[in-house]
Amino acid sequence: MGILKLENVSYRYKDAPKDSYVFKDINYEFEQGKIYAIKGKSGSGKTTLLSLITGLEKCTEGNVLYDGKKLRKINLDNYRNTDIGIVFQSYNLLPRLTAIENIILSMDVSKVKVKNKKQKALELMKSVGLSEEQAKRKILKLSGGEQQRIAIARSLSYNPKIIIADEPTGNLDKETENDILKIFKSLAKDENKCIIIVTHSQNVCNEVDEVYELASKKVN
Amino acid sequence: MYILKNSLVSIIRNKGRNILIGIIILVIACSTTVTLAIRNTASNLVENYRESHDIIASISFDRKQLTNNFKGGEDNLKDNIEAFNNIESLNLDTVKNYGESDYLKGYYYMYSTSLNSDTLSKASDTYEYEVEDKQTTTSTSSTTTGGNSGMPNGRPGGGGEERRTTINNNTTTIITRTKEKFESDKNLTGDFELDGYSSYDAMTDFVNGTYQVTEGEMISDFEALECVVSSELAILNEIEVGGTITLKNSNTEVTYEFLVKGIYKDNSDSNDVVKMFSSSANKIITGSGVIEKIVAEDSTAITNITPSFIVKDEESIEKFTEELKEKGLNEYFTVNTNLDELQNATKSIENVKTFASTFLIITLIISSIVLFVINMINIRERKYEIGVFRTIGVSKFKLTMQFVLELLIVAIIMLMIGAVCGSFISKPVGNSLLQNEIESNAEEEEQISNNFGKGQMPMQYNQTAKIEPINNIDALVDITVIAQLVGIGILLTFISSLASMISIQRFSPLTILKERS
Repeated sequence: MGILKLENVSYRYKDAPKDSYVFKDINYEFEQGKIYAIKGKSGSGKTTLLSLITGLEKCTEGNVLYDGKKLRKINLDNYRNTDIGIVFQSYNLLPRLTAIENIILSMDVSKVKVKNKKQKALELMKSVGLSEEQAKRKILKLSGGEQQRIAIARSLSYNPKIIIADEPTGNLDKETENDILKIFKSLAKDENKCIIIVTHSQNVCNEVDEVYELASKKVN
Repeated sequence: MYILKNSLVSIIRNKGRNILIGIIILVIACSTTVTLAIRNTASNLVENYRESHDIIASISFDRKQLTNNFKGGEDNLKDNIEAFNNIESLNLDTVKNYGESDYLKGYYYMYSTSLNSDTLSKASDTYEYEVEDKQTTTSTSSTTTGGNSGMPNGRPGGGGEERRTTINNNTTTIITRTKEKFESDKNLTGDFELDGYSSYDAMTDFVNGTYQVTEGEMISDFEALECVVSSELAILNEIEVGGTITLKNSNTEVTYEFLVKGIYKDNSDSNDVVKMFSSSANKIITGSGVIEKIVAEDSTAITNITPSFIVKDEESIEKFTEELKEKGLNEYFTVNTNLDELQNATKSIENVKTFASTFLIITLIISSIVLFVINMINIRERKYEIGVFRTIGVSKFKLTMQFVLELLIVAIIMLMIGAVCGSFISKPVGNSLLQNEIESNAEEEEQISNNFGKGQMPMQYNQTAKIEPINNIDALVDITVIAQLVGIGILLTFISSLASMISIQRFSPLTILKERS
């Protein structure tokens, strides 16, 4: 049984006409140990679907089920700080904090039991290719690629079962993109995580286990 | 715990914003401390003043009522005097009955009568003596006629003498006759006024310093034949503390031997050069129980009782007055209190207190609005932060707590600094305000005095001045002020945090992040 299940999921904007859906009746299942890519043209609703999966948005119809439980019925704060890790396209890191502080903050919020949070954060940063010196820098003093790595490290910091990434390599060069894909593959295979990547990149689609083409499902 | 950590980090990393908020809170804290200190100290002063100065109700004769009932014309003088004599005076039983009231904290009284003495000389500037001179000659005779023959219901009194001579044929007789003067029978008749007090509280002249025991001590047993005599009487009769004086009731011929416990002097300023002795010279202080004994042995003894009732509170005054009327208080008597005097004495400080309270309310309203607006601007600047926190799973409650905590930490630090600053300036500010108020009131009273065409206050105002007004506030920042300040600080923090609370509840993290993107 999949860790995450989309059950007749439909979405339309609140101010849109009643029959104007961004997407309708999506049924899909995501399993642990696999990497998924959600592909689609601009405006196809990729980021919206991701928002529904992360609980930041509610389905107009249908349900998203995590571990067999409807997201509507569970505590979404706990879901977001414990069960899923989100890597945003625009990183969404706190600029007033340093790189390492952003990661430790996520551990604090999730209440994950870690003896030495600083040590764990440094290890995570090292695993995504960042140095201790970079860890002490404020977010705005890091490049886009470095911020993306920190966002990934942050999403891993509390060991969630699912990692959802929105265009994680969209702002990165080819080499960095490959590095990050390696990280995701390793997480899926070695740590049994479910990785869901929203992407435009064919290179990413070629590396994942399953590709979900959203455009073909769109109902207007 | 991480909420506190985040709050502290946020405060440190956003110095500019927090310094601005801090300065505003500091100004609020400082002015609030000053106003609270002044207000509380003023309240305490007024309260302590009220506690130390009881509301005293006294019963006084209403001369206006008597005058209204007067019949005009000289012929009706007798009727008028009779009417006056028929007014039933207060007696001890009545006073005790009046004193049994739920509206009173207690009561005391001064019970007076008078006695004579064969051994003591009365302090008097009039030397009275009788000369009986009868002369008879054979050539002529004389008979005195005319003069007062006495009036009913009156009593004989000392007065002048009148001689009239009738000449007969061979014998002349000069007969001296004492005139009888009619006067009210409510005056004490003996040479020595014996003032019997029911308690030390009743000795208001000693309490307010008009009289002062200069040798020995005040009587301790209000039932025993103990007394304190005036210094003038003591000098005149060579009375010493520990000695005795003997007084006599002229009606019953009963003598009373008093142990002299002390000698008092009259400190009241008297510019009356016409009299050799002060009005208190023949006044002997004793206990009310002694007067009760004298009265018990002589039912005809003329007494006077001056009761003072300690009223529980302002609301009880009217109820007590009604109760006295129900108990049969004569229409010729009215109930007066010292409430006006007490209120006048605290008027200036009450005004300062009112000013402080008003200023406090205005300060709090303005500061709440200012802090609310600053927080609203602050929250708009921090929308992105809110969005990030929400997406990583920080609950709305915890996020609200973090924002409130940030403001609370800044507020507490600034409140402490403000309290210290306020404690230094509250005393001079408070006293300055009070002095201005006192001067303002003094000018007002002087104006009233001038309206009376006098350089000094009319009688009513002089009486008021007997109660010393409060003229120093010395505003103190005590634990109450600190507690109130902390309370106000927390309240202000929550009011101004309403902006962040509402925003956090309303903001959709996805919308915020989309806007940012």
